[in-house]
Amino acid sequence: MFACFYIPDFAVQAVLLRAAAETRAELRTTALAILDGPPNLPRVFATNATARRAGIQTGMTKLQVETYGGVLIPQSEKIARPADPILLRKRVLEEEEYAQAALVNFAGRFCPRVESTCPGAVILDLAGTEKLLGPWEKAARTMNTQAEEMGLEILIAMAANPDTAFLAARGFSANGVLRPRPGCAWAGIFIAAGEEAEQLASLPVDVLPISPEMLEILKGWGIREFEALAALPTVAVVERLGQEGLYLQRLARGEIDRPLLTAEANAGFVASFEFDDPVETLESLLFILNRLLQELCSKLLAAALAAQELRLAVELEVRQIRRDQKEEKYQHEWKLPAPTQDRNLLSRLVQLQLEKTTFSAPVRRLSLEVIPVKPRVAQENFFAPPSPEAEKLEITLERLLGVVGAADANGISCVGSPCLVDTHRPGGFAVQHFSSVDATGPQFFPKPGRGGRARKDDATVEAGSDAPVIALRVFRPARETWVELDGVRPHFVRLWSRHWRVLAASGPWVCSGDWWNGAAWIREEWDVALKTPAGPGFYRIYRDRIQERWFVEGVFD
Amino acid sequence: MVGTAKTEVLRAQIRAQIEEKLPSAFTVYCRQERGRILTGIASIDEAVQGVPLHAMTEICGSNLASSGKTSVLTSLLARASRDHFCALVDAGDSFDPVSGHAAGIYLPRLLWVRCGKSRGKLPPLEQAFKVADILLQSGGFGLIAVNLSGIPERVVRKVPLSSWFRFSRVIEKFPAALVFVEEEPHATSCAGLVLRVGTERRGDSFTGNLLMQMKLTVEVVRGMDKKPVRPEKFAGETGFSLRTQWA
Repeated sequence: MFACFYIPDFAVQAVLLRAAAETRAELRTTALAILDGPPNLPRVFATNATARRAGIQTGMTKLQVETYGGVLIPQSEKIARPADPILLRKRVLEEEEYAQAALVNFAGRFCPRVESTCPGAVILDLAGTEKLLGPWEKAARTMNTQAEEMGLEILIAMAANPDTAFLAARGFSANGVLRPRPGCAWAGIFIAAGEEAEQLASLPVDVLPISPEMLEILKGWGIREFEALAALPTVAVVERLGQEGLYLQRLARGEIDRPLLTAEANAGFVASFEFDDPVETLESLLFILNRLLQELCSKLLAAALAAQELRLAVELEVRQIRRDQKEEKYQHEWKLPAPTQDRNLLSRLVQLQLEKTTFSAPVRRLSLEVIPVKPRVAQENFFAPPSPEAEKLEITLERLLGVVGAADANGISCVGSPCLVDTHRPGGFAVQHFSSVDATGPQFFPKPGRGGRARKDDATVEAGSDAPVIALRVFRPARETWVELDGVRPHFVRLWSRHWRVLAASGPWVCSGDWWNGAAWIREEWDVALKTPAGPGFYRIYRDRIQERWFVEGVFD
Repeated sequence: MVGTAKTEVLRAQIRAQIEEKLPSAFTVYCRQERGRILTGIASIDEAVQGVPLHAMTEICGSNLASSGKTSVLTSLLARASRDHFCALVDAGDSFDPVSGHAAGIYLPRLLWVRCGKSRGKLPPLEQAFKVADILLQSGGFGLIAVNLSGIPERVVRKVPLSSWFRFSRVIEKFPAALVFVEEEPHATSCAGLVLRVGTERRGDSFTGNLLMQMKLTVEVVRGMDKKPVRPEKFAGETGFSLRTQWA
């Protein structure tokens, strides 16, 4: 059994789908016409039933419609003026693509084998779903209800072969005629096996996928309905109309049984929106981004996937013409520590980032992409330490970055986990992204290092002793100082505008490196004890042998 | 003996009558046992049994001299990172990852927030307090340490008492320790534990041509052991030694 979901007046419904849910029902009763064509002569491309009753026909020019009282609504403006007689809207292909994708995703809820037949129509193969969906009448009612909740107005036709279902849905909706199955009360079409020719008999031949020339021939012969075409002798049809005619006749009889060309699963989860007029306010951006996130999260939920990465791309409207003009783009991506389907979390991350960012020009286009993965199935570990929630931690880190800034003058992040760098250069460290997903944890804890420099790979170090180690409180950047020498040993050190006498000194300890890659450094280090009013202060000072200047690196505190 | 028996009977009668009218009159208030995180320095742990959870702790010491407060903090982070995720709010960006690693801190479990590094933002002290606030609200950290060592004392002194009070009230609800490292104590009674560390004026820190150790003293200015109503104040000092990485 095959079911066809057909959206009548697809271009109009694509526009309504993007409108807010509250106004959609009211707008369905408003006359709405879609314009398409060259900018100097747009014509009516599609209308809804209310507009047709008002006398608007496909092919009319914009001027003709305006004489009926039509008003053009820009894309960016929300359609919220039902009091106007006829609303006009420019056709936007992206909206139709979005509506078609939404229809395919919706159909995917009931069956994995879905064919995207044409804009506004999908066919499902319901074989094997009887136990899941129940009787066809009940299934169709459920489908209708769910479609209405999504904002889709669809007609459902069920038949034993896909083309019959499609022709029935398309043909009967175009004529405004719905022929419910005798004895049932649902607004749909059900054609049992063997009844195809009988049920399709009254449909006009232009419902078929027919070329204009063939249509003209048939009308010339007086063939206007399926019944008449089906009744023609087959051999005569082939002789006069060829294989195309035979195919059309078999369609009219409902004899074509073909496999579905199933739609590929969405390779990417991408949602985008282009403004008619570039916007500058954060509220407008957030409003649209929330809607895009809602679409993406619905897709993720429908596909039982979760977001591992989120990518935002913002295209700006470049106003000034410059010689090296490039389209300005802003991009940002978030790598989440744990896959999530939580729309609020993603929305908050985007909001925090946009609050910190200033764009140099108004925003013209927004695009959000989600990299889906299977949701994480994690079992709580009794032996793991309590940790910040992975999802909430991302928001916390974004808030911290908003307070302290993203990176320092050297490009090292201001928020994260410190990690050692495999270098002998003093003060070499990096800051990596902090994550509470502690996969393995330390099997044993690093032993306090010996020899002056601890190494990065401490996995093989034995469990450490509890002997406390003196920590160095560094000055970042190192403070330049003046040192008076007594021979070769420091005698006085100038620090914080005062001269401090050196009580004892350990050194010089000379170290150097990176002479092979152009970033050479040579230092002569001293550990000195300075006489301060609060007691001895043990400082590390060094002389940069290249610059021949003294610095205070830090204090042993 | 007869008199004592009569007194006991009389006492029991009076107690029964009072309990009938005021049932809570003889209820003993038991302070909830708070968990603690050991500092890893034996003499401090012996004196105060570690840094308390659900409370604020101040570790004070001179910024000019080598008081040892940073080493105490590092040792505390090393012990805490074994069992908890820790956060270090570094107001002066003075944390040395090499020293931390040498002390035994498990760095992947340490969230390091470096304040005062970007232009156009709040002053470092305000950043530090705001960050501490955010971390307290987010939860999940067993130890949140705020190192104010790089901030001049005259600036820290201007922090209103209400800020310290707010921190102490917030941390009461969370199973975490909030530690401030600064030059002088400022939180007054809002802090559950106040330690003052300093250098021993005498001491052989150098052995030959090498700086080998530092001898320090710690004074428990305020503690919260066993006294349900008012904190205790210890007058005694405890000494301990720290060794260099190469000792």
